[in-house]
Order: sequence, then C-alpha cells, then structure tokens
Amino acid sequence: MKALALAIVVLVGGLLISATVDFPDWGDPASPAALHVSPRYIEKSLEETSVPNVVTSVLADYRGFDTMFETTVVFTAGVACFLLLRRREPRPEPTRVYRHQATGVIVEMSQPPESEPAPEVFQRIDDDWTPHDLIVMNVCRLLIPFIQLFGLYVIAHGHHSPGGGFQGGVILGASVILIALSWDLRTAEMRLHEVTTGLMSAIGVFIYAGVGALALALGGNFLDYAALAPLLRVDPIAARSLGIFFVEVGVGLAVMATMVFIYKNLASEGRLDQGL
Amino acid sequence: MSEQFPALVVIGPLLAALMVSVAGWLRPRLCLPLALLGLGIAAAASTGLLAQVLAHGPISYRLGGWPPPWGIVYHLDNLNAVVAALVSWVALVNLVAAHRAVLTDYPDKIGPFYTLYVLAVTGMLGMVVTGDAFNLYVLLEITSLTGYALIGLGGGRAPLASLNYLFLGTIGASFYLLGVGYLYIVTGSLNMADLARLLAPLHGSLALTAAFAITLVGLWMKMAFFPLHAWLPNAYGFAPSPAASLLAPLMTKVMVYVMIRVMISVFTVEFILREVLLSQFVVWLAVAAMVGGALMALGQRDLKRMLAYIVVAEVGYMVGGAWLGNRLAMTGAILHIINDAVMTFCVFLAAGCIFQKRRGTAFEDLQGLFKKMPWTMAALAAGALAVIGVPPTCGFFSKWYLIRGGLEAGHWGFVAGLIFSSLVNVVLFFRVFEIAFFEPLDHGHGHGETGGAVALTEAPLSMLLPLMAAALGLLALGLATGPLVERVILPIIPAGLG
Repeated sequence: MKALALAIVVLVGGLLISATVDFPDWGDPASPAALHVSPRYIEKSLEETSVPNVVTSVLADYRGFDTMFETTVVFTAGVACFLLLRRREPRPEPTRVYRHQATGVIVEMSQPPESEPAPEVFQRIDDDWTPHDLIVMNVCRLLIPFIQLFGLYVIAHGHHSPGGGFQGGVILGASVILIALSWDLRTAEMRLHEVTTGLMSAIGVFIYAGVGALALALGGNFLDYAALAPLLRVDPIAARSLGIFFVEVGVGLAVMATMVFIYKNLASEGRLDQGL
Repeated sequence: MSEQFPALVVIGPLLAALMVSVAGWLRPRLCLPLALLGLGIAAAASTGLLAQVLAHGPISYRLGGWPPPWGIVYHLDNLNAVVAALVSWVALVNLVAAHRAVLTDYPDKIGPFYTLYVLAVTGMLGMVVTGDAFNLYVLLEITSLTGYALIGLGGGRAPLASLNYLFLGTIGASFYLLGVGYLYIVTGSLNMADLARLLAPLHGSLALTAAFAITLVGLWMKMAFFPLHAWLPNAYGFAPSPAASLLAPLMTKVMVYVMIRVMISVFTVEFILREVLLSQFVVWLAVAAMVGGALMALGQRDLKRMLAYIVVAEVGYMVGGAWLGNRLAMTGAILHIINDAVMTFCVFLAAGCIFQKRRGTAFEDLQGLFKKMPWTMAALAAGALAVIGVPPTCGFFSKWYLIRGGLEAGHWGFVAGLIFSSLVNVVLFFRVFEIAFFEPLDHGHGHGETGGAVALTEAPLSMLLPLMAAALGLLALGLATGPLVERVILPIIPAGLG
C-alpha cells in the first residue's frame, strides 16, 4: 500500500513538474500574470482608492469580496471548534493532575491512585499549587500592553505599510494567548470572557459584511465603498480608503477573537477550566 | 431592489448566519427565526433571479463596483440561476424539518448549529452564482468547513468519518486551487469568461492539460466520484439527520454543477471534445461508479448508509452524462442535478423522520413502520420510485435523456450500467419495504424495548410537512420536465456539443 502511494505521488509530482515547462519564467516581466491585471492595480490603485499599499487595496477593495469570505472562514473555524469541542459538564471528580518532571508531560488521573507516585518522577499539581514563574509572569505582564498597542498599529497602518486586519488581529490574539500561557487559562478567561470572544468574532465579520450592505443600501453595489461618500461627508475616493479601514477593523476583531476562542477550546478540551 | 438580487442571494444568509451566532449567545430562541429569515431571503432572491434570467437573459453583477477582470463578478445564466433556486429552497424546507431534531439532540448548541447550517448554504449558493474561479474556491472552503463540523457532530464513528472526509476534502480543494493557480500563471486572470477567452490560443499546451486534470480530480474528490468516493458513505451515514438531509442532496450536486461550469465556461467544449480519450475514460469511470455504488449499496444493513451508496451511484449518472459529449446527455446530466437533489432530499428526510422516532436507521429499526409511520413511509416510497426511475416521477425523465444520450453516443456500456443500477435500486428499496411492511414491530427488535411499540407514532408535523413537500416536488418536477428542458436547460448547452 505504501509503495503504491509512493508510486502515485512520484507519478503525479512528475506530471505536475513536467507541466511547468510551459510556464513563463519566475519574475518574468513579460509573463501573462505581470501583463494582464496587475498593471492596472499598480498604476491606478492610488488614484482610485487613495491607498498607497497595493496589496491592501487589492485585498480589501478590488477583491474585497474574497477577503470578506476569508474572514468568514476564520469565523467558521471558531464556531466549528466550539460546536465539536465545548462541553459544559465539569470534569469527573475527583481528578488528580501530575506533571512528569523529566518531560513536562501532564497526566490526569480520574481515579486517585492508591499511593502517590514518587514525587521526584511525578509532581502533583492542582489549582492551589500552580508553579508560577515570577520572571515569566511579570515580563509578560509588562510586554502585553505594548504587544497589543503594536497590534492596533498594524491594523490601522495597513494602508501604508505591510499589515492590515489579519496580521494585526493575529498579534492581538497572540497577546491574549500569552496571558493564558504565562498566567493560566482562567486569568485569560477573566480578561476576555468566552461570550465576549464569541460575540466579537461574529461582530467582526458583521462589520465587514455590514459595511458592504450599507453601501448596497445607499445605492451602490455590495462592498462599493464609494457609495458611502454621502454618509461620511467625503469624496468617493476617500470613502474607498475609509471603507477599507472599516473592514480591516472588522477583520482584526474577528481574527483576534477567533484565535483566542479556538485556543481556549482546544487547550482545555472544551471545558475552559485549566488548560495547558 | 431587484438589480441587487445576485448580492442578496449570498449576503442575506451570510448576515443572517452572523446574527444567528450572536443570538446563540444572548437569545437562543431567536436562532431559528433568524436562520429562516436568512434562507427565506436567499430563496426569494434566487427565485426572482431565475425569473429575471429566463425573461431577459444572463445577468452580470459587479461586486464592489469593479469591472471584470479586476474585480469579482457574479455571472448568472439559466444554469446557475436554476441550481441556486434549487439549493436555497431545499435548504429552507430542510431547515423547517431540522428544528425538532436539533432541539432533541443538541439543545445547548442551537446557536452554533444554525450558524454553520446557514453558512453551509451561503457557501453553496456563493459557489453556484459566482463567475470567478478563485471566489469559487473561497466559498468551497466555507461549505467544506461547515460540512466537516456538522458531520462530526453525529454519534458513533461520526468524528472519525468527518476526519477522513476532512483529509480527502482538503486534498480535493487543494487540487482545485492548484489548478486555478496554474491557470493564473498561464493567463493572469481569475475571471471565468476572461479565462475562456485567454485559454483559447493555449489549447494543446501541457500546462493547460495539467491544470484541467488536477482541477477535475479535485472536484471529483469533493463530489465523491468513483473511485474517490470512500469518504462519503461513512460521512453521510453517521452525520446527524438534519445535516445529512442538507449535505447529501446538495453538496455532491453543487460540485457536479461546478464541474459542468468549469467544463463549459472555462475550458470550453472545444477543448474537452479534443480530449476524446479522456472523455471515454471518464465515462467508463462513471459506469464503474453506477455499478459499484449499486453493488456496495446491496451490502448495507442500514438505511442511511444504503442511501449514501446510492448517492455514489447517482454521481456516476451525472458525470457520465456530462462527458458523453452530446446535447441529449448533457441535458440529462443537468436535469438530473435538479431531480437528484430533490429525490435525495426526500429519501434522506424520510430517514431523518424515522431516526427521530426510532433513534436508529438500521434495517431492524424499520420493522412495522408502514403501520406506525404511514405518511413517512409513503414519502419514502415516492422517493424510492423516483430514484428507481418510475414515471411520472422526475427520476424517469432525466434517466430517459441520459439513456438517449448514451445511445446517440453509441456508448453501450453507459446505457447498460444505468439500467443495471436502476434495477439494483428496485431490489434495494423493495427489500426495505418488505421489512417495513411485513415484519411486525415488536418482533426481534434488538433494543430490548418491546414497550416502545406503543409509543411509536408518526413523525412530528414540522418534519412531516417538509417531507410531503419534497415528495410532491418529485411529481411536480416530473410533470414540469417539458418546459424545464425547453426553456431552462436547452438554451445554455453550448453550440459546440453535437
């Protein structure tokens, strides 16, 4: 079976590689991909959307509809994790948790053992005694606000420099996961409650689709930010730029919340109690 | 407002899904009404679109106001308008039927369940109406992801079946994406109409043939075309019944639609007809799907799994019809997309009704059901007659076109395979009816609850009415075959087909 699979992989791989003979060279300025749609993006983006970063204008405006659904994919992943993993019933009592000293692997025992394992091999840990590391905790406590500030900057500055909603959202989400890692899951849960994250991820996507629907309600096509101009009291080009900013905020919110949401459900097997 | 119908078909359910998710956290009672609202908007808009397209010809809708190929366009002709209407109506009717089962089985997860349900429909509708090859992939991701989660929620081995589906589905979707990537490298465009224009001078190039092959294999994996079907029986067999009666009728049909769309609108008929060797090969694979699906269905001892193998065989009908290379067979294939969606819906919904009462669909659970659930069983019988292909149900007419197409192409293997699998369907369903009609309920029922015989009655009205609607739809579609073929299907078949 393995040999057969290997043969198929080699065959298909060979086929795909042999097809590349017909491809233009990488980076060839005369290749179809460089001549067909991209010149317009590069030449007209600033003039049509007043966004200097072409990547942002293509992702959030010219092909903004795809990006809206990519954000929906992130949201869907969060809901799917919740649907499959979240369990409301508490852990079967009494459980005991041990950490294997040599490897750091955490072992959970639903039935308490008759005699405690040797403490130099397995260290008992529980809610009363969690081995907090003073340095790690305080370094993270100092760092996290700056990480979050940087995340906001990346979202807001996506028009001008590499960045945008996805990247900034990931940085923000990582800062909350860092709280969970350096302190514990309950602290993170207290800072950003499950219901809040669930609502935020839906609302983030809703901001994106809502901006599009608002344009539709104001007489444009769906996601035609220029139609927002009368509402924002700016000219249509500036409205496109602002529209991109609004949807980026939505993306950032959705990505951040969904990351935290998925982490919490995965790390604690859907119980949201002790976690990793 | 009517010029915004193409956008509403997709964003109506999308916005509704997000609101359902919020309601799931704050007011779970609002989930069902919001989901109904979203799918209702989609159904109304897609029906309006179908009327517009039939009256005034194809519609093009620019998302974000950008002209193609720079922006994304929705391009609607008869083919996708009719499939979009079909998807949204089946999903809406199934949602009504789903509610009781969701309340019974997942009372604490109503919000996420409906969110994913509505998102799955959003994804399918988006794939159907789009005119952009990459946009199709993004919506495919959404449908797949929701499908994995909904299937994984089922009992028993459902999580494992879902994981298996996830692996194969991801490979299939990646293949499609790789094919689109190849096309982008050689043309620089993602718009389907633009691609068709730019690809014409490239016919015969190895890169194009490779792109075609991997795109097709990817789509075949997603539609469970033999021999890439292995994930389907377990996935649909173990899925929770409201999810099974959504995904089984629609998912494979939408993917067959995508295949036909890619064949005629991107690569064009001229390109495909050149590849005569390939089309012969594909038709033989379709014959294998029909025969293999039917034979494997014979080995099943569970109604839902039996139906899942019938789906595998049905995919063979449609793919074979699309590849026979003449107008009659293509008409049959497109007609069968519509008919098969409704008949698969009918039989899976009937299985869901049975599951709701008996908590199982193994053959032993079917004993005595004609006495206890006469309406459900009558609908199942109607669905069975349609699957077998008895006139005047709709199944007869699409098979009729497929057989005529097979005869015209001189492909005797296809005709024989189709007739053989229809005959096996007769055996399959009469075996089910024999158990349900002749074997008494309280006799040999393996769950040790003979008292359950008294409690068992007909399925709740909220499930029964949708089931009746589906059964009547089978007859209505059968009777409407003439106008459907004349007005909807024939105008979209490209002139290049013989």
